[in-house]
Amino acid sequence: MIELTEISKHYIIGKEKLKAADNVNLKVEKGDFLSIVGHSGSGKTTLLSIVGALTKPDIGTVKINGTNLWSISDNELSELRNKLMNFIFQFSSLIPTLTVLENVLLPTAFSKERINRNDYAMALLDMVRIQDKANMYPSQLSGGQQRRVAIARAFINEPAIVLADEPTGDLDEETEAEIMTLFRKMNEDKGVTFLLVTHSSEIAKQCKKIYRMTHGILKPL
Amino acid sequence: MNISINTIAQNNLRRKIFRSIAIAGAVMVVSATLFSITTVMDSVELSLKRSIQRLGADIMVVPKGSEVKAKASLLSGEPTEFYMDNTIEDRIKKIKGVKQTAVQLYLLTSKYRCCDVGEMLMIGFDPKNDFTIMPWLTESLKRDIKDDEAIMGRAITAFQVGSSVTAYGRVFKIVGMIEQTGMKFIDTSMFLPMDGVRKAIEESKNKGNKTVNIPENKISTVLVQVTPDMPPSRVAIFIEYDIPGVTAIVSEEVISTVRKQLFILLKSVLSISVLLWVMAIFLIGLVFSMIVNERRREIGLLRAMGAKKKDIFQLIMTEASILSVIGGLAGIVLGGSFLFFFKDFIRSSLNIPYLWPEMLQFALLIYLTLLLSLLTGAIAAFYPAVRSMKMEPYAAIRKGE
Ligand SMILES: Nc1ncnc2c1ncn2[C@@H]1O[C@H](COP(=O)(O)OP(=O)(O)OP(=O)(O)O)[C@@H](O)[C@H]1O
Ligand SMILES: [Mg+2]
Repeated sequence: MIELTEISKHYIIGKEKLKAADNVNLKVEKGDFLSIVGHSGSGKTTLLSIVGALTKPDIGTVKINGTNLWSISDNELSELRNKLMNFIFQFSSLIPTLTVLENVLLPTAFSKERINRNDYAMALLDMVRIQDKANMYPSQLSGGQQRRVAIARAFINEPAIVLADEPTGDLDEETEAEIMTLFRKMNEDKGVTFLLVTHSSEIAKQCKKIYRMTHGILKPL
Repeated sequence: MNISINTIAQNNLRRKIFRSIAIAGAVMVVSATLFSITTVMDSVELSLKRSIQRLGADIMVVPKGSEVKAKASLLSGEPTEFYMDNTIEDRIKKIKGVKQTAVQLYLLTSKYRCCDVGEMLMIGFDPKNDFTIMPWLTESLKRDIKDDEAIMGRAITAFQVGSSVTAYGRVFKIVGMIEQTGMKFIDTSMFLPMDGVRKAIEESKNKGNKTVNIPENKISTVLVQVTPDMPPSRVAIFIEYDIPGVTAIVSEEVISTVRKQLFILLKSVLSISVLLWVMAIFLIGLVFSMIVNERRREIGLLRAMGAKKKDIFQLIMTEASILSVIGGLAGIVLGGSFLFFFKDFIRSSLNIPYLWPEMLQFALLIYLTLLLSLLTGAIAAFYPAVRSMKMEPYAAIRKGE
C-alpha cells in the first residue's frame, strides 16, 4: 500500500546540512497499524509529510497503491491527499474563521463528488465527544478539544490511510484511550491503515509494528 | 450544509471585517470617482448632443461680430439682441447645399418697463417655414398660429396654456408649450409668430411704456438646414464667402468647442483618478500579499486536505472579487449620491442642462464601473494568488508557524 524506497531529505540550517530523512525504506501493508517513535527533531514529522505527499524527498521514491507520487500531476496528487490519505497534524490545524462543524467538513469542499456529509460529520464529532461544540469557533475551544476536532476531520472523507502526528499529544489519559479505541475500531472495521507518530510508549505498545527514528534513520523495533 | 470555497472565502471576509472594509473602501473611492467623472462627461456629451437636436438647425447665420453673443445665448440662454437685413435669407437660399431656411427675430423683454415677464427673449419665428420650434410643441396645434398667440418654453412656469401675457403693450394668448429641452435658450424663451412681434413693435410706439425701434426689414438670425450630401461646415464657408457681413455658426462646431474645453478640464480630473486607480491596485495588491503571507499556514493546511492549486487561486480571487464588487457598488452609490446632492452646483458650473445620462448609457456606466472594480481586485490579487498556490504544502504550514 505504501512503499518508500531509499528516501532522503535534508534541510540547510545556516551552513549546516541536516539530514531529516536518511535513506529510509519502509513498506506498509493495507490494514497496518504502525507507530514511529523517536526523539524530538529526529525527523518523524518530515517522514510523515513525505508519505502524505506534503513535501517532496530529495531522492528516493514514494509509492502509494503502486503510484509513484511525484510522477503524477498536482491535481492527481491533491485528489490523493483528499480521498486516500488524511493527515492529523502535530500542531493546531483548524481554520480559525470556520466553525467546528465547518472545519470537519472542510475536506469535502475539495472532493469531486459533492455529497452532503453533515450527518457523518456530527457522528464523528460525537465519537470524539465534542458534538456540543459543533457551532463554536476554534478559538473558543481548548487545545485538546481542537485536537479532537482535527481527528474527526481526518475521517470525514473515509480515507484508506490516516497519518497521525502525535494525535494525542495534548489529551488526558482517558481521552487518549478513547481516541485509540476509535483508531483501532476504524482499523479493524474499515481496514483503515494507520501511521502513528508518538512519544507515548503506552500507545506504541498497542501498535502492530513499531519503528524508531534516530537522526533521520528509520529502524524497526 | 455544504461547504465550498465560497464559504471559506465569505467566512474569512466576515471574520476579518475591518480588513475587508478597508479593502472594499479603497475600491469604493476609485469606483466613486471614476463613476461620477464618467457620468459627468457623459452628461456633457448628451447635453450638447441634445442641444443641436433641439435647435434643429445645422447652421445659424448671424450678423458679423455677434457670434460670441449668439453662442452664449445658445449655450447658456443669456438673452441677447442683434439684427441684420432680411434680404440675407433669400441670398442664403441660393447657396449650394442649403435645403431649408427659417428666420428668427429676437426681442428682449424687461419687467417694469414693458412686459409681464422679466428679462427674457421673445423669439419671433416664421410659422410657414419653421422647422425649429413647432416640432417640439407638447401638443401640436392643429391650425396656424395667429398673430396674438404665443408659445412658451417649459421653464417659464408662471404661465400656462390658456393664460395670456402682455409684451410691449400687446396681449398674447398662450396656446402651446415647448417640450422640456434642458437648453435654456429654448426653455426660457417665448415664441411668437413673426407678425405678432412686428405688431408688438408697432404698438409699443403708442401703447407700451417702452418704445422699440426695429425696422420692418430686420431679422436676427437665419437658421439653415443643409442637404444630407453636404457637410454643414462647407456650406457655412460658402455662406460667409458669398454674403459679406454675416457669420455662419455651425451647431456641431459650437458643440465640439465646448466639448473640447470641458473635456480638457474633465480629462485632467480623470487622469488623476486613473492614477488613484493604479495606486489602489498597488495598495490592495500589497495588502493581499500580506494576507497571503499571514495565511500561509491556512493555505498549506487546505492543500494538505486536498485543495488543488486552482482551488487556492480561486479562494484568493473570490475574496478579492467579493470585496471589489461590494466596494464597486458602494462607490457607485457614493458617487451617485454625490452627483445627486451637488447636481445644481455641477450643472451650473459646467453649464450643462442634464446630469443624468440616458437610461441605457447609465446602465452601461454602472456596468463598466463594476467591471473596473472587479478588475481592480482581480489585478491586485492576481500575483499574491499565484504565489500562494505555488507554495509547497509542508513548507507553507511550517513557515506559517
Ligand atoms: N522546513 C524546514 N526547514 C528547516 N529545517 C527543518 C524543516 N523541517 C524540519 N526541519 C528540521 O528537521 C529536523 C526534523 O524535524 P521534524 O519536524 O521532522 O522532527 P520531529 O521528529 O517531528 O520532531 P518533534 O518530535 O519535535 O515533532 C529538525 O531538526 C528540524 O529543525
Ligand atoms: Mg514532529
